Amino acid sequence: MSRPKSVRQSMAWLHTWSGLVVGWLLFAIFVTGTASYYRTAISHWMRPELSDTVSDPVAAASRAGTFLQKTMPAAAGWSIRLPTAENPTVEVYWWPNFGGPFHHALLDPATGERSTVRDTRGGDFLYRFHFELNMPPIWGRWIVSACAMVLLIALLSGIVIHRRIFADFFTFRRDRSAQRGWLDAHNVMGVLALPFHLMIVYTGLVTLSSMLMPWAVKTGYRGDIQRYYAEAGLMIAGRPVAGRPGTGLPLGEIVSRAIATTGEMPELVTVANPADAAATVTAYFEEPPGLAHLHPQIAYDAATGAELGRVGEAGAATRTGAVMVGLHEAHFAAAPLRFLFFLCGLMGAATVATGLVLWTVARAPKNVAPEGFGLRLVRILNLGTIAGLPAGLAAYFLANRLLPVALDVRAEWEVGAFFAVWVLAALASALYPRTRAWSFALAVPASAFLAIPVIDAITIGESRFIGFDVAMALLGLLLLLAARLASRRAWARRPIQEHLHMTAEA
Amino acid sequence: MILSLLLAFAGFSAFALSQDRHHRAVVRIPVSRSRIRGLRNAGWAGLGLSFLAAMASAGCSFGPVQWVGSLTGAALAVVGVIAFRPTSLRIIALAALPLAALIAPLALAS
Amino acid sequence: MSADGVKARPGSVRAYRLAVTARVLLAGVGGYLIAALASALLALMLPGGRAEAVSAALIASFAIMAAAVIWVFAAGTVGRAALGLGLAAALLIAALWLVGAFQAGGVA
Repeated sequence: MSRPKSVRQSMAWLHTWSGLVVGWLLFAIFVTGTASYYRTAISHWMRPELSDTVSDPVAAASRAGTFLQKTMPAAAGWSIRLPTAENPTVEVYWWPNFGGPFHHALLDPATGERSTVRDTRGGDFLYRFHFELNMPPIWGRWIVSACAMVLLIALLSGIVIHRRIFADFFTFRRDRSAQRGWLDAHNVMGVLALPFHLMIVYTGLVTLSSMLMPWAVKTGYRGDIQRYYAEAGLMIAGRPVAGRPGTGLPLGEIVSRAIATTGEMPELVTVANPADAAATVTAYFEEPPGLAHLHPQIAYDAATGAELGRVGEAGAATRTGAVMVGLHEAHFAAAPLRFLFFLCGLMGAATVATGLVLWTVARAPKNVAPEGFGLRLVRILNLGTIAGLPAGLAAYFLANRLLPVALDVRAEWEVGAFFAVWVLAALASALYPRTRAWSFALAVPASAFLAIPVIDAITIGESRFIGFDVAMALLGLLLLLAARLASRRAWARRPIQEHLHMTAEA
Repeated sequence: MILSLLLAFAGFSAFALSQDRHHRAVVRIPVSRSRIRGLRNAGWAGLGLSFLAAMASAGCSFGPVQWVGSLTGAALAVVGVIAFRPTSLRIIALAALPLAALIAPLALAS
Repeated sequence: MSADGVKARPGSVRAYRLAVTARVLLAGVGGYLIAALASALLALMLPGGRAEAVSAALIASFAIMAAAVIWVFAAGTVGRAALGLGLAAALLIAALWLVGAFQAGGVA
């Protein structure tokens, strides 16, 4: 490091070590983010009591308003996601001020009371873990963003050091040495999905850009971010509070006005300062077809129902940013394209995983010599993350089916199962002998994933969950295949080691 | 999108065959210079047609996204075939073409 | 960049570690500083209206940070890396001062 020989060598150093320090977190971010492409499907599966009956959004909005009026009349804001065929419940949030805390409930659209379905965080837990790591949001977001920055650096330095991108484009030599095989796998996964990797990491940073880089808003708008959002065409400018109390119309009234003027049902309705005379209701509509993540919005006076304004037209740069956010979240993607994104996400996780394993394989002692502390630590963390996280994921789904439906703070228990099994699986594989650790560690999540369809068939057994169950079984089989490959490799290596011994003795 | 995937697969197969190492693995003989040129042209044609197919079926905004995704998926498939069943690459790639022609009217009509 | 050549002499292992720490700190703190200054400047200088300039500055800032970090690790010595970043930061601050970012209430 002190006297580097060439740029390529310094980039190789940078790639190796930057990849290592954030690798484990990146793996978890990639896996949970990839799962989030199917967030609604996961939430559906985890709330089997919900049927697909579509309820009247206008009445549901009024009932949700009544619920929120009862719960926190003097809130700084309410938010109501209206029921659709995909999401048959009404999801409400309310917060006493902009810093939070943000309270959350699922309501039954027919009664306007808390839904009686099993308490679970569903796919939202994985989605939030992807960028908040189950930590306080600000902390989690900064840590994930730092990892993303390091990943961007690792990708760029990886391109510099990969001398033969095109010559080795299709090369995966599984018949050569273990190190060669892992390097080829790392290169193939990294290069073939490189457009996706670069896109996903950069657009991820752009998604959180106003938190990460507040300086442009500081100079351009003296820090007034609401004003920036309004001028850029991202939001409608808020109204100052009147300071006197007011009563709003039933929310359903405003929803039906929104439907009447646009011909579309709003996805989401927010109410700013509901107890104030200047309370404002904003209706958010589904994004028009296209890549950009820009929701059409109309603001209404809560008391009179008069239209206050609409969101402005976004300029080219703002639209570019919105396309980046859209690409990251892939809301637009229909089933086949979504599957390709999912596949690319898996390849991202695999790139990280193969890179981490490669680090240990390249440094593994050549014969039976004991491994040093650093190598042992990395190997154990690799086992615990790459095999432990899937085990936790499977446990999260299994807990959803196996925990009693009426259990107190049930959602917390599910999350607890996720972390507990992750840690337990990691500890168990750490204690396993080195040669068989990988096959054991991968067999655990494999059997857990394979158990999901069985448990689901016993506890719920509904045909509409077959797609999810088949996907879980496929994941289980994939992990089983990986476990078998790992055990075969462990066996195959033995003669080589003996051979080395003999040559060393001779 | 399946059309675009098939064409990209055929294109990448041609590219892979234009490399001596893979050509030896697939057909067991070294690749001749004239063949390299032909295979490279076929490769570019496959990728180009795949792009056109993606644009035609998904439009100007989704088309490029879908095409890049198809490239990744198709290239991964080619790598898998070369690594595990190298001798069948030619047959699969050649079978992909009539299949693409077969579904082209369906894919472009929708 | 391997430590092999350095490991022979235990004294220079410390120098090596110190150099690595310095580069990591320089890349993290310095890289972010450059990106922050550049996005603050771009927000004031780019054409097409205030909102557009801010949006473009936000998008560009991460590429700028990545470039700065790559520079820190590619430069021959830590000193050169620091000099490069320092020069860029000084230029950006001067430009920000020229366009008036520090007047009337300051940047913050």
